[in-house]
Amino acid sequence: MFTTQLLDVVTTAGVLYIVALGLLIVYGVLKIINLAHGAFLAVGAYAGVVTTGLGWNPWTALLLAFVIGVALAALVEWRVLRRLYARPLDTILATWGLNIIVVQLITLYFGREIRFAESAIGRAVSVGGATYSEYRMVLLLLAVILGVAVWLVTQRTQIGIVARAVIMNEELAQALGINTRLVRFMTFCLGAGLAALAGALLTPLISVHPNLGVPWLINAFMLVLVAGVSLANLALAALVLGGAQVLVSSYGNPVLGSLTIVILAVVILRFRTITI
Amino acid sequence: MRKSWASHRPRLLATLLAVLALAMVPAGAVRSQDKKPIVIAVPVGLSGVNSVVAPAVVQSGELAVEEINAKGGVLGRKLQLVPLDDESGPAGAVKAFNTAIRQHKADTIITMETSAARNAGAPIAERAKTLFIYTSFYEGRACGKNLFINAWVPEQVVPPLIKFMTDEKKVKKWFAVGSDYAFGRGMIEAAKSTIKGAGGTILGEEYQPLQQSDWTAIISKIRAANPDGIIYSTSGGGPNIDFMKQFKAAGLTMPVGSLSIDELTAEAGGNAAEGVYYTGDYFTGLDNPENKKFLDAMKKKFGANLKTPNSLSEPEYDGIYAYAMAVEKAGTTDVDKLLQVLPMIVFKGPRGQVRMNKQHHAPLPVYLAQVQADGKTKVLKSFGLVDPGNQCPNLK
Repeated sequence: MFTTQLLDVVTTAGVLYIVALGLLIVYGVLKIINLAHGAFLAVGAYAGVVTTGLGWNPWTALLLAFVIGVALAALVEWRVLRRLYARPLDTILATWGLNIIVVQLITLYFGREIRFAESAIGRAVSVGGATYSEYRMVLLLLAVILGVAVWLVTQRTQIGIVARAVIMNEELAQALGINTRLVRFMTFCLGAGLAALAGALLTPLISVHPNLGVPWLINAFMLVLVAGVSLANLALAALVLGGAQVLVSSYGNPVLGSLTIVILAVVILRFRTITI
Repeated sequence: MRKSWASHRPRLLATLLAVLALAMVPAGAVRSQDKKPIVIAVPVGLSGVNSVVAPAVVQSGELAVEEINAKGGVLGRKLQLVPLDDESGPAGAVKAFNTAIRQHKADTIITMETSAARNAGAPIAERAKTLFIYTSFYEGRACGKNLFINAWVPEQVVPPLIKFMTDEKKVKKWFAVGSDYAFGRGMIEAAKSTIKGAGGTILGEEYQPLQQSDWTAIISKIRAANPDGIIYSTSGGGPNIDFMKQFKAAGLTMPVGSLSIDELTAEAGGNAAEGVYYTGDYFTGLDNPENKKFLDAMKKKFGANLKTPNSLSEPEYDGIYAYAMAVEKAGTTDVDKLLQVLPMIVFKGPRGQVRMNKQHHAPLPVYLAQVQADGKTKVLKSFGLVDPGNQCPNLK
């Protein structure tokens, strides 16, 4: 029982981390909350439906999801979003509008009913004496890999250093000759690509329908509010909030559990004194 | 200019009137020979949560109307189907019922709706003295003088499923799981009382919020409790597949009975729901001549646009036939006469024999089915006609 609960906590944190990563990156550099994040999750999930329809290997859905996510984001950033950076409040409207448009386009093409996406892994494995979902273990591993990869990019690459400069002080970075417009563009594409990737990764756990992103967007939003712009903080927030949700659901009930993330986020925000 | 226009006006008017009069002659002539059609309004959730199933409901209705009209209609009058959008909720239902009754002068309302929409619409039909045949399975105990229901209530599908799992699958210790909303909880309550009656015990009972698609905590609780079998009732569609995917992935293998899955959902889930048992009054795989004829006619009429008929859409077909037979027998569309006649009408349709003679509800043929490895549903056996029990003790 204890092992299972421990696994529940860490794998839930892993899933939350994967889902929130793209949102955090966009928030960090662009200082906007991408409310179309849920729609990008859905786009990724439908990539799984498409690859299943074509009879491709389920893992190819991940690549397809990422590519479509990036392409869609590139179009949106180029045509809409970059005109709105001076009006942060309007970006909320714009991204929420984008969310509605994308969800409706998916609905028009695929319909409202749930669709089938093949899963690569549906087995259970034995972990430390407990039988546990192999796919959740894989997700945990992927969360760690994604986290490390994004961290390496920000710390060890030119684009990462530039991005961090923009995060710290955009005007100064611009004054130093950094093309902040390009940094914003690439960050938004990467964030949306990661969101779509997360959507594709969710399909073995959940059913695919146009609005599947909404509940995940809410949780991811809370995590990012708490974590600020730090990857390490995001991991910590996923572990604390996700863990609390699992434990409250286990010892209390899932109805209370679903409130935990929101309530805890509010409490943490109230008492968090260090801004990152 | 003004003057010259005015001077022309009488002639213009006269010409217009003459043209109009001419145009109306043939139309009027036809009208007088042809009788007014019998209007059947179908307020249904073309938008909102029911929009997945609503097109199938309308198609069932269109087929019934076409078949009846092809045989000359009823009392020499054609049937006319008027689908309206109730937006899957009470506000839309109020609009749709008023439009049906005032604008379309509906003779009857025969439809599948959410319970909230039905509760909002039924009093409007009642006040307007319009017969309302409700064709959706629901939580039970909706009663009205003009309200008839030809689909199942929990008393008809829950006990057969529990009894089957108790007797055949030897499930004594149960775990009950539901979505946290009225229908989910209502179905689990019905299941619990049947389980207790059958001598079973309930090891645990858990409800998941509607928005939450991660079932991890509940699945861990199931594992810890180690029951012989599961009975679950989520909200319709996706949550069934969410739960079953995660249940399977966790390596749990005990038998599962579902009170919320349907054929379309099971099929969309692929192998996710493989092995799940469920009961219902209609399955496309029902092996009887009426169902075969119905499915062939649906395929022929709608071709590639066919929405797979299901337990929420097929009763619309039965409902329209029952109404047509009642009007034929009563010799009128007068609601007071129809209320007398309708309980006597027996329609043998794709589901089997349906007669709304039990307190405005219908004893129904109930079947046991199981989801196969490819997501398709296989009908395993029939329980015969199952009584709805005491739904409306104040009605006959």
